[in-house]
Formats: sequence, structure tokens, C-alpha cells
Amino acid sequence: MFNNAQEFFNTLPLIIMGGGIVISLLIEIYSDKNKVILPWFTALLFLAVGLHSLFYTNDVSIVMQNMLATGGNVNIFYAIFTLGAAVVTLISIDYIKKYDMYFGEYYLILQTSVLGMMLMAAAKDLFVIFLGLELMSISFYILAGMNRKRAKANEASLKYFLLGSFATGFIVYGIALIYGSAHTTSIDFITTNFAGLTSNLLFVAGVLLFLIGFSFKIAAFPFHMWVPDVYEGSSTTVAALFSTGGKSAAFSAIIASLFALFNGPSGNVFTPYFAVISVLSMFYGSIVAIAQVNIKRMLAYSSISHAGYLIIGLAAGNHDAIAGVMFYLGAYTFMNLGAFGIVSLVEGKNETNLDINSYAGLASKKPFLAALLSILMFSLAGVPPFAGFFGKYYIFIAAIESKLTWLAILGVISSAISAYFYIRIVVLMYFKPATNDFQIETSNSAMLGIITSVIIVILLGIFPGSFLDLITRFI
Amino acid sequence: MTLQIVLFFIFAAVSAVTAVIMITRTNAVISALFLVLNFASLAGLYLTLNAQFIAVTQIIVYAGAIMVLFLFVLMLLRPENEKKILDMKPKLQIFAMIIAFIVFIQIAYIIFFAQPLQNISPDLTNSIKAGTIEAIGRELFTKYIVPFEAAGFLLLAAAIGALVLAKKKFE
Amino acid sequence: MTETGIINISLAILFLPLLGFIVTLLLGKKIKSIYLFEVFILTVTLFAAIFVAFIKLSYYVDDRIIAEIQWFKLSETISIKLGFLIDNMTVIMLFVVALISALVHYFSIAYMKDDPRYNRYFAYLGIFTFSMNGIVLTNNILMMYIFWELVGLSSYLLIGFWFEKKSASDAGKKAFIVNRVGDIGMFAGILILFLTYNTFSFESIFHSIAAGKLPFNSDFWLTMTGILLFMGAIGKSAQFPLHVWLPDAMEGPTPVSALIHAATMVAAGVYLTIRIFGLLTADAMMFIAIIGMLSAFIPATIALTQNDIKKVLAYSTVSQLGYMVMALGIGAYKFTFFHLVAHAFFKACLFLGSGSVIYAMHHEQDIRNMGGLRKKLPLTYATFLIATLAISGIPLTSGFHSKDGILASSFAFGSLTGNWIFAIVGFLVALMTAFYMFRLVIITFHGQPRDQHKYEHAKESPFVMVMPLIVLAGLSIFIFYTPNPLNADEGWFISKWLPAPVLSAPNNTRFDFMQETAGAVTHNPSHGTITYSESYTEAMHGAHNPAMILALVLALSGMLLAYIFYQWKKINVDKLTQAIKPLYTFSLNKWYFDELYDKTFVAGTIGFSKLIGWFDAKIVDGIINGAGNLTRLLSVFTGAFDRIVIDGIVNFAAYLSGFIGLIFRRIQTGKVQTYLILVIFSIIILLFLFND
Repeated sequence: MFNNAQEFFNTLPLIIMGGGIVISLLIEIYSDKNKVILPWFTALLFLAVGLHSLFYTNDVSIVMQNMLATGGNVNIFYAIFTLGAAVVTLISIDYIKKYDMYFGEYYLILQTSVLGMMLMAAAKDLFVIFLGLELMSISFYILAGMNRKRAKANEASLKYFLLGSFATGFIVYGIALIYGSAHTTSIDFITTNFAGLTSNLLFVAGVLLFLIGFSFKIAAFPFHMWVPDVYEGSSTTVAALFSTGGKSAAFSAIIASLFALFNGPSGNVFTPYFAVISVLSMFYGSIVAIAQVNIKRMLAYSSISHAGYLIIGLAAGNHDAIAGVMFYLGAYTFMNLGAFGIVSLVEGKNETNLDINSYAGLASKKPFLAALLSILMFSLAGVPPFAGFFGKYYIFIAAIESKLTWLAILGVISSAISAYFYIRIVVLMYFKPATNDFQIETSNSAMLGIITSVIIVILLGIFPGSFLDLITRFI
Repeated sequence: MTLQIVLFFIFAAVSAVTAVIMITRTNAVISALFLVLNFASLAGLYLTLNAQFIAVTQIIVYAGAIMVLFLFVLMLLRPENEKKILDMKPKLQIFAMIIAFIVFIQIAYIIFFAQPLQNISPDLTNSIKAGTIEAIGRELFTKYIVPFEAAGFLLLAAAIGALVLAKKKFE
Repeated sequence: MTETGIINISLAILFLPLLGFIVTLLLGKKIKSIYLFEVFILTVTLFAAIFVAFIKLSYYVDDRIIAEIQWFKLSETISIKLGFLIDNMTVIMLFVVALISALVHYFSIAYMKDDPRYNRYFAYLGIFTFSMNGIVLTNNILMMYIFWELVGLSSYLLIGFWFEKKSASDAGKKAFIVNRVGDIGMFAGILILFLTYNTFSFESIFHSIAAGKLPFNSDFWLTMTGILLFMGAIGKSAQFPLHVWLPDAMEGPTPVSALIHAATMVAAGVYLTIRIFGLLTADAMMFIAIIGMLSAFIPATIALTQNDIKKVLAYSTVSQLGYMVMALGIGAYKFTFFHLVAHAFFKACLFLGSGSVIYAMHHEQDIRNMGGLRKKLPLTYATFLIATLAISGIPLTSGFHSKDGILASSFAFGSLTGNWIFAIVGFLVALMTAFYMFRLVIITFHGQPRDQHKYEHAKESPFVMVMPLIVLAGLSIFIFYTPNPLNADEGWFISKWLPAPVLSAPNNTRFDFMQETAGAVTHNPSHGTITYSESYTEAMHGAHNPAMILALVLALSGMLLAYIFYQWKKINVDKLTQAIKPLYTFSLNKWYFDELYDKTFVAGTIGFSKLIGWFDAKIVDGIINGAGNLTRLLSVFTGAFDRIVIDGIVNFAAYLSGFIGLIFRRIQTGKVQTYLILVIFSIIILLFLFND
């Protein structure tokens, strides 16, 4: 297992996370006060793992019989997942009480899903990627159906399960074909011999199926169908996790498995595939989002179009692009979490206020909340000086470096379109009188999560250089 | 034609035919029974590939435990006839068939035009050894410890999920 | 103490006031005495500034400390950086800002005592100090611009602090709008620089210019860049023709006037011009000198007749700033900074003194209702007198040295280039300054009280208000700058602390005497005056004594005239004003074209006055009114925007939603089977794509 203490230390984020799950299980079973302890234990666990990962990014190594990578970008991904999940935990605390769906299991499953994500980011072997993916996905299916009283939640859970299993099937099939042609599941071996292996049609088909499976998970067009239905059906807090952690994890797995190939000056063999699905996702997401009146569906389509921007980075396939993708994932995680957090507060009991017209006049009712949501919307739309702008900026620049200027231009056009439906929310909040009268119950823990996200979005927008430097150090 | 190849064709044919029959039956119980047969023939295929342990597991776990559970559930629930759903959208059905056919052609193309696998060890004894419980156990607890642990957590999550989603009462 | 230490302390000096602002603003409503925190913070800042100035000037006197961090990267080659430039000027300015800000804080404790928004006032002072320190510390023009706007914002907030008064909120708006006019030019200049050099850093820009890289490869555009950047200074330092906001800004609380509109913020324009001095061409310098000359002269004539104690000081501030700008334009680099610092102290003293008087007289500002206050306010009088002596340029004061240096430079400039107009105006303004300042002192403090009732109730201000006056008056004495009471050139301030400017504009675009070929002298930091060339040194040497004597004679005669008119009343002022009534009213109405006195204007002055009055009334105020109209138009437009565009967006959204929904409803059926078929279909297409 561990050859020395340093390896053990480097693997600590995973070990802490796994240990935390076991401890949570014991708390849930044996403690009378688990309703109070478990949420905060979960949040602190995520925070601890996230901060530990951020502080020890320099411990780059490969451990556990070439199964796991540690340090560097892996740790940065850990931080994105866990800190994002910490915010999700905070916005969940009062939310799940509101819906009478308090189960200690909620937090447990949250933790297992994050462990799955972390395994995906760290994987050096296709097995680990697959198991991490399954751990995350199974947890997600459960989370989606957590609110059992709602028929829609049950539907969402089942739909997610069916389509997700379908995608997993593709991935397994892909891995089988890759193994069949390369005789190994070691990612390093496959990527170093990639050029030779591509002469084998089986291998190519395997890689393609692998990518298609992950395209499902990152919600790229045309594998996006589950996204709006699932986001709408499942609880808002859970949808927040799907759209941020789930997406980031899928990207981290693609980066983990194909990173060695992302060094070309002008794209690589995957560029045509990625370019096509990125354009389709961007435009489909932006255009259809305009038509949505349900804010959760709108955010779902917005997440499809954001997936499109992120895939531009993969299409560009150079190191700057990967750095841009990671930056964007960090930025996107927190701006989306903040937005979903506010939606979870505004929606009220039984999701009565999910229509975007519920946001009319929010600025006079809850000025602070409206200001926060405006910042998040501007950031999602890519308005400087917020994090979203620099995410897009770095990716588009990298695309131009890879001579994919047309893709960058399409990206800019798409973000111009998408600005419409983000700004519409701001317009509604500030320029329209309130149409219906409802009370918004704020919750301190949720506000803590939202404000944290907004602060991170602003900080990443004002000091994008420091975070990017951290990423590029390991690329 | 060695025995191995003959066996392969038999098992392959059985598994393919039972798979088709399984999805075309309207009675769910009959489908389930054909699925058991399908699993059994897959176990036979594993045996021809010197994977004894997996073959046995396939029979015990899938054909034995899981399918029996399935059958119990089906008998208790008495599901409606499934035929209605497919009849509702005949156009879609045709479209689906065409697509399925194209995919079939594509996969066949890939398989037939792919390079034949080289450098497979002809040494049968090694191959047989690799399929034993001892070898699998050794590998599982040394090289593949991370996937093994991950699978543990996966099962934990699935078990908890099943409990949560099936629990009768809300707290 | 290392250089890193200096940088860290400077960081603290920058951010401490921001901390004070945030804490005071957030807790202002809850905790009544939170202002004490802000005052405490400023005291700490002051000590840090003194410490850093001491370390820098004693141990690192010849170093330029630069600290930069990358803010973000725009591309491989272009990155935006944040950074500090700490040279001697920086630490001296930090000290000036921190000291005056701290003193104004103390002063305000008593002065603003009964204000309902007491804590908010201190919070605003905090953010102002933060932004001003930012301007002082930055090493690049982008940060300069950001803090520049922040300073403008805090100035707006403080001028309009008593926003219930319409005149105060109007004055705030006026200051804000007028400043924007200048800032547009500055912004254009910054853009030109960035487009040409891909950097905002002064250092790198100067290097590139010295290496021969010019904006659009032309000398003309280098001149234009200098002038455009200087436009920011025109606005901020209230230079002609944008000087109109500063007198109105006196609507703000008097301590604010002392801090912002006399000592620090208005000097920021001069500071900016000092920082960009290296890239100015002869043409740009000429432009700057002319603007400075006009700004020195016109307000000086207006100050002669004003009766509001703060208005006199305001016009005198504009005039003195014009002096500094003119001095920079004619190359008197060191003396400009010297005058900037000296002026900051004595003008802050004068303003705080006037605040003390106003406080004692229960918010009476008209000097015609004062008089004889010398006995009632002895300390205020004494400090006010010292500061007046300093601004008039009487020996043994700091003002004597700084003004003397500027006048000598203008003299030298005249002899070198034949442009004597700057020297003539400079001496005239010196005369007028001495006159109107002593007029102010005599009417306010000497003679008999005119408003007996208010006089009876007047009493010396409390200690927290008098102490700042004493400190500032003390700093107007020569000994802090030079040991020699007659010549500052050998003193430490000029010869040791201030480095000679580094010129980077192309040789052929400079004044003759600044050209490298004109017998350049290698810079010797231990030697005093600016040495552009042998001829300049010679001219300065020749100019020094005549200029000093002439300046002294003029200052004393201005003082004497004031005594003759107002103290001894040898000449009846009223009769005299009758005799030159047109000129008097012209000045009283601030060079305004005033219909009431239209007919009494003497034919000879009509043309000139009309021109200037017309200019002031039509063009300058026209711009202001135009801006007002523009705002009104804008509000009409935004109204229409609200109706048409925003409602349009919302309605359009409904239509668009329906349309898109119609198309995509067929795909997004919600049925898993449909989804799967579509997915497989897409995979087929993608497979073909991938196989190529």
C-alpha cells in the first residue's frame, strides 16, 4: 500500500474523506443529537479536506501501485469539490428541514458522492475512474429521489438513474474496448502509447465511447436531455451539487485520463469531436434557456451552455486551455452554487416561487439578497470584474492560441445571447414591481454559504492571477 | 475447430437468442426466466475464457440470488402488460428500430475491421492461474486495493440509498 | 529594517484607513463612539508614516523601492500588475497626508460634535485617506486612475455631507461632474499609453520612451498624451478652466475643506504631473505652464475682494495650485514639490484656523461681521498669522523658500527662452497674495468687532482644535526644510531628499536648456538645485538673488498696502473701490459678467472682462449646465428605456419563449425512451465525425 509516510500523508484527503464517512455513519446510528451534529460535522469535514488539499498542493506524487495521483491539480480539484460541497451542506441545513425530508443519510450520501468525485480526479487507472464515477452517480441518483413525497422527485431520480446507467454502460463498454486493445487499464501506459494505439479501430471506438459517456455527465448536447428534468425534479440544493460538483468531477476525469495528450500547439485528435459538441451545447443551452420560465430549468440550460464553454477548453487542448478550464470550473462552481442557494431561499415552501416572475421586485423586498443574486448573474453572464468573465477569457484566449479562433468567436456570441436571460433576472428584480406577495424566510446557514460563494466569485474576479498561477504551476 | 470455439458459438448463440426473447416477451416472468438462461450462457462464456471464479460468481450471484429476488418482486407486484407503451408511439418504434440497426452495423464494422489482437499469451497455464480465487484475491488486496475500497464505499452508498428510498415511514 | 519592511509598513499605511472606514461605517449606527476607532487608526497610520519616512530618508535616501505583484495576465506578454513605488517623494507625501488627515480627525472631534451623522463623517474621512494614500503609493497609472476616482467619490460624499442643504448637494454634484470632464482626458491618455507600451507602469513607460518608442510614432502624440494626462490634473487640482468647482466645494464641513480641498486631494493633480514629468515634451510643458499661469492669476484677482472667509482661502488655493502647475511647466521640478508640501501645511493651517473662527462665531463666515477677534482667539490668531506670513512668502517661513525657488525658476526660464510672462505673472500674484491674505487677517482679527453680539460669545476653541493649528503653524517654519533662512538650495529637503527628474522625452522635443547636448551635467544627488544643463544652472544662479529681493519687496509691499488700506485706513477703501468700481465689482463677482453692474463698466476694461466673463459664464458654466441638461435628457431617455427596452425585453421574452418552446417541446418530451433514441442517433453522427 504505502511505501513511506509521505505517500500516506499525500493520500490524506481521500483517507480523511473515507474516515469521515465512517464516522458520520456512526454518528447517525449512535448519537441522539445527530440532527444537530451531522450537518456541521459534514460541513467541517468538507472544509478540512478542502483546506488541507489547498495547503499541500506541492505534494505531487503517484501512490497506491500507480492507481492514484496526489498533489498539484488533483488537490485543486479536491478543493473545488469539497469547498463546493461545503457550501451545498450549508444551504441544505434549513432547506431539508423545510421539506420535512430530514435524513441523516442525506449528509452521508453527500459525502460518498464527494468521495467519488475525488477518486475520479485522482485516478491514474481506468478502474478507479469508473468506480469513482459510479460512487458519485449512485449517490446522485439517491439524492435526486431524497424528497420522496414529491412525485417529480421520484421521476427525476428514476430518469437520472436510467439515463445515467446508460452513460455508464457506454463508459464500461469503452473501457472494455480500450483494455482489449491496450491490454492494460493504466492511464499512463495508454496515453504514452496513444499514437500507436490509434491505428487500432477498437481502441478508437473505445475512447470515443468513453468520451460519450462523460459527455453525458458533463451535460453536453446531445447528451443533455436528463439535465432540465432532473434539476427541476430534484431538490434545489441537490441540483446545485449536480450542476457543479458533478460537472467538475466529469471534467476532472477527462483531464485526469487525457491530460498527457493536452499539450499540442493546435488541438489534438479529439478536437473535432469536442469542437462540435461545444458549439452545439453553447448555443442550445443559451437559446433554450431564453424560453424558460422556471428558474431551475433556466439554470439547467445555462449549465448546458457553460458545459459548452468548458469544452472549448478541451477542444483547444493546450496547457493554457486546461488551466482555463480549471479556473472556470472553480468560478462556475461558486457562482452556480450561490445562484441555486438563493433560489432555494426564494422558492418558499413546496416550491411555489420557482417562476422567474417571482423575482420581480425582489430588490425592494430583500435588497441584500437581490444584490448578491445580481452579482452572481453578472458573473454567470461573464461581466467583468467577476470570476465568470476571467474563466471565459482564459478559455477563449487558449482557443485562439490553438488556432480555433472561430470557436472563440462563437463562444463570445453565445455568451452575448446568454447574457440576455441572466440580465433579465436582474431587470426583473430591480425594475419591475412585485407581482405577488410572499415572505422569504432567510436562513443563517444558507446565507453564510451564499455569501461565501459571492465573496469567492468576487475575489476570483479581482485577483484571478493568483488562482491561475496556482493552477499553472502544475501544468 | 477446437472444442473451445464450438463451445463459444453455442454459448454465444444461446445468450444472443435469449436476450432477444427476453426483451420481446410481454410477460415479465417469462422475460426474467430467459434472463436467467442468458446469465447462465454468459457464465459458460467466462468458463471458456478460463475465468472460473467469475463464471461461478455469475451463476451464484446473478442467476441464483438476484434473479430469484426479481421473480419474487414480479410475482408480488403483478405488473401490467407492457405492450401498451410500445404501441403508443408506432413512429418512434420504427425510428428506434432503424437506429438500432445502424448501431448494430457500426459495431459489427468496428469489430470486423479492427486489427486482430496480437501478443495474447498462448500459455494456458498462466491464464488458468489468473482465473483462480487465490490469484484474484492477491491482486485485489495488493494492486487493486484502491478500486476495492472504492467498491466498498459504492456498496455502502447503494445500501444506504436503498434503505432511504424504500423506508416505509418518514421521520 | 529592510526594503521589504518598508513595503510592508506602506501596505499597512494604505489599508489601515480602509479598515477604519469599514468598521466605522458598519458599526456606526450601533456604537456611538466608534469614531474613536477611526481616530485611533489614523493615529497609528500617522506613526507608521513617520516611521517609514524616517527609515527611508535616513537609510535608503537614494533608493527607489519598487514592489510589484501580478494582478492578472491578459496574454503571454501583457500582464496587469499592481505595485508600489516608494521613493522620497512618496514617503514625504505619505507623511503629509497622514499628518493632515490625523490632525483633521482630531479637529473634527470638536467641530462636528453635534452632527447627527457623526460616525459616517469619520468613515468618509477614512476612505478618503485610503484612496489618497493609494494615489501616493502607486507605481502605475492604472492604479493611479482607480484611486483617483475613489478620491473623487469620497470628495463628492464629503462636499455633499450636509446634503439636506441644496447648495451643498449641488456643490457635490458640480465637483463630481467637473472632475469627470478632466478624467475623460486622463483616461484617453492612459489608453494611448497602454496601447503603445502594453503596460501601465511609469518606470517601463519611461524606459520605452527613452528607447525611442513613441505613441503612434510621433512626437505630436507624445505631447498629446502628456496634455491628456494633465487634463486629469486640471480637473482634480481645479485649474483654469475647470476651477469653478473648488469655491463651491466650500459647502462641505470646514475640516474637510482643509484636508481635501486645500492640502491633499487638490494637490493630487500636481503630484500626478510630477510623476509623469519625464514624458512631457516642451510643447506639453508650455501648455501646462500657461494653464498654471492663468489659474494663478485669475483666482488671485478674485480673492482680493471676497468677503466669505472660506471663499478667500479657496481662491487662494486655486491660485497657489496654479503656481505649482506653472512651476512644473517651466521646469522647476523640485520647487514644485517643495511648494506642494509647504502649501499643504500652511493652507491646512489657514483652513483649520478659519474653521476655528467659524466655530467661535457660531457658523458666521462673512468677514465683514468679524473683527477684533485677536483678543478672543489668541492662539488661532497667532497660528493664522504664521501661516499667512508663510503663504505671503515672508522670510523665515517655508513659503518664502518655496515661492522664492519658483520665482527664481521663472526668472531663469525668462532669461533662457525669452518668455518673461511667467515671471511677470508670478511676481504679480505674489504681490496680490500678500495683499489679500493680510486683508483677511486684518479684517478678521484686528480692529473693532463689528458684530458685538457674536463677538461677546466668541471664545477660544477647545484643545483638540487648537493643537492641530499649532502643529501645522510650526511646520510652516523654515527650519524643518533647510538650515539656511535665506537659501533653501543647500537644505536637506531640496538637495538631499528630492532627486532630480529623469527625462525620457526625445531630445529634440525638449526645451533647449533641457537638451542633453546643451552641456549636460551628470546628476549629483548630493548637490542642490535641478541641473538640466550648464546654462540652466548658470541662469538659476543669476536669477536667485534678484528674484529673492524682488519677491521680498513685493510681498512686503502687498502686506504694507493691506495695512494702509485696512489697518491704518490711510486710504479710504470705499472711496478707492468707488474709483475703480468696475474692476472691484468684476473681481467681487468672480470675473462674472453681471447684468446689474453692466452699465458702470469702463469702456477700456469691457472688452477683456466681457471675454473672460463670457468665457466663464457661457463656456465653463455652459458645460456645467449642459451636463445638467444632459442628465435631464438622460433621465428622459432612461424613462423611455424603461418603458420601451426593459418592458420590451420582458414582452419579447414571452414571445421568444413561446416560439422556442414550440420547437423544442418535441425534443424535450420528458420520456426516457425518446431521449435514448436521440442519444443513439447523435452517437451515430459523432462516430462518423470521429472516424475521419
